[in-house]
Amino acid sequence: MTRPLFGGVIASVVAGAMLSAGVARIAAQGPPPPPKNPPPPGWIDPRNPPKEDPNWQPPRTPDGQPTIEGQWGQASDIITYSIEDPEAERAGHTAISGQRPMVGRPIIDPVDGKIPYQPWAVKFAAFLNAEHIKPSKLEYLDPVSRGFQEGVPRINYQGAMQIQQFPGMVLITYDYHHSYRVIPLDGRPHVGKDVKLWMGDSRGHWEGNTLVVDVANNNDQTWLQIVGGFHSDAFHLVERWTPAAPDHLVYIATIDDAKVYARPWKLRVDYRRQKVDEQWESAVWEGNRTADVVLGDSKK
Amino acid sequence: MTHRLPRSSIVTSIVVLVAAAVSIAGAQTPSSTLPRTPDGKPDLSGIWQVMNTAAWDIQDHTAQKGVPAGVGVVVGGEIPYKPEALAKKRENYANRATADPESKCYLPGVPRIMYMSYPFQIFQKPNQITMLFEYVHATRPIYTNGTQHPPGHIDWWMGDSRGRWEGDTLVVDVVHFNDQTWFDRAGNFHSEQLHLVERFTPLDRDHITYEVTVEDPKVFTAPWRMSMVLYRHREPNAQLLEYECFTFDNEFHAPVPSK
Repeated sequence: MTRPLFGGVIASVVAGAMLSAGVARIAAQGPPPPPKNPPPPGWIDPRNPPKEDPNWQPPRTPDGQPTIEGQWGQASDIITYSIEDPEAERAGHTAISGQRPMVGRPIIDPVDGKIPYQPWAVKFAAFLNAEHIKPSKLEYLDPVSRGFQEGVPRINYQGAMQIQQFPGMVLITYDYHHSYRVIPLDGRPHVGKDVKLWMGDSRGHWEGNTLVVDVANNNDQTWLQIVGGFHSDAFHLVERWTPAAPDHLVYIATIDDAKVYARPWKLRVDYRRQKVDEQWESAVWEGNRTADVVLGDSKK
Repeated sequence: MTHRLPRSSIVTSIVVLVAAAVSIAGAQTPSSTLPRTPDGKPDLSGIWQVMNTAAWDIQDHTAQKGVPAGVGVVVGGEIPYKPEALAKKRENYANRATADPESKCYLPGVPRIMYMSYPFQIFQKPNQITMLFEYVHATRPIYTNGTQHPPGHIDWWMGDSRGRWEGDTLVVDVVHFNDQTWFDRAGNFHSEQLHLVERFTPLDRDHITYEVTVEDPKVFTAPWRMSMVLYRHREPNAQLLEYECFTFDNEFHAPVPSK
C-alpha cells in the first residue's frame, strides 16, 4: 500500500479546503442530546458515569501494582461504526440489518462529542463519511473492513479484552482479531521514530491507581470509526486506565495530532468485569472478502 | 492430563516420554540455575526465536534463490506419509509459491508459527501461558489450569492448547485444527485430525529445547517428531514489532479482481 490517505488525495483536499477555510470550521456546540433509542441494561453514560466509592483501593499484585487483571467488556455501548453520532450515522445500516441502534458517544471533550478536526480535515472527514457505504476507491473503505488491525484507541471500544500484569509489564490481549499490546513499565524510551506500527508503541507507568500509557509510533493508516475518523502519523495518545470499583475499569484517552486536529481531545470508555475465562480464536483476515463485496463492481 | 484424547495418543505419549527422557539426559544442566516463577516452575518468560530454516522446509534441503539451505528438524529425517498423502505433498511442493496458505498471509498454525523467522514472546502465569508472535500478531493462549480441550471438533487455525508441567518440561497438547495450514513452504501438510504434543524443556536460561510430536491418522502412518532449539533475545531493547503480512500487497487487500 502506498500511503493512500496522505498522498495526492490529501494534497487535493487541502488545496480545496484552502479556498473555503473560513466556512469549513464548525464551532463546537453544546453536549449531544440524550439517546433517542433505549440504551442496553447496565449502560454507562460517559457523561454521567456512576459515582463509585472514592475510598475503594484496588488489591495489589505481588510486585505492588494496583491490579486491573481480568476479562473486561465494554459497557459504554460504543460501536466502531460511528463514535460521533452513532444513532444518526448508522440509521441506514440498522434499518437494513435489523441490528439494535447503539447509543454510545465516547468523546467527552469537546463537549459536542465530535472530533475537533482542523478546517481542511473537516472536509476530508466529510468526504470519507460520504464514501463509506459505497467507496469509489479501496483506500476509502474502512481499514478494519479490509482486515487490518484497529489501532489504538479503536481496539479499546471494539469489544472485550483480557488484561494480565507481570513485574514491569502489562499485557492486553483483545478478543477481536487476536490483537495485543505489550506495555513495558520500566521507563524505556519509545522505539525510533521511523518505526510505524498499526497498534502503536506503548510505554506505561503508574500514577497512584492509574496506569498511564503513552502511545506513539502510530502509522497513518488506522481509522477511529467505519465512517472515516482519520489521523496522521503524528497521532499520539496518553491513556489513563483507572480501576474505579472491583468490577469497573475506566479508560480516558487524550488524543493529539498536530497535523489533523485543531486541539487535543478526550475519549472515555467504561468496562465491566466479565465472567468468561478464555479467549477463543478470532481469525479476521483469513478468507476476508469484504473489499470484494463492497467494491466489487466499481473495481472491474 | 485427563483430556479425552484419541486412543493413539497413549502410544504417542509413551514415545514422547521415552524420547524426552533421552533428550533431557543428553542435555543436562544444573536445574538450580534456571530462572523460576514464584510457583517453582521454570520461567520461560522472554522473547524467543529459532535459528533454523524449518519454515521453508522442515526436512534437509539445498539452497534456492531466497531460501537458505538447511539441516532438517524432523527426527530421523523422514515423514511417514500415506502413499496418497505423499503424492499430495509433492503436488503442494510444485505449487508452493501460490498454494502455501502462508503466501496468502493466513495464520500459519501450530507448529509452523513456532519456527517462523520472527520473534515471539512468552508470558507465564500459573494458570495460563500466553505466547505472542510478531508474525501477523498471532497469539496462543495455553491454559495450564487443568481444563480440558473444549468439545469439538472445532476448526481453528491455531488449534486449542492445554498445557501441564512434567518436572521442568512444559507439555502442551494441541487439537482442534483446520486442514488449511502447512508445516512449511515445502508443502508438508496435515488434515483437521492433526494432534500435537509439544515439549518445552529449558536447556539453560537462554535456550529451550522445543520438541513436537505430530500425529494425524488421515495423513501419516505413524506419529513423527521434530526437535529444535529456541534462542532467547538478549538485546536489552528487544521487543516485538509488527509484521502485518496482509497489508503489504495491494492485490491482497484490494478486492481480488473477479476478471
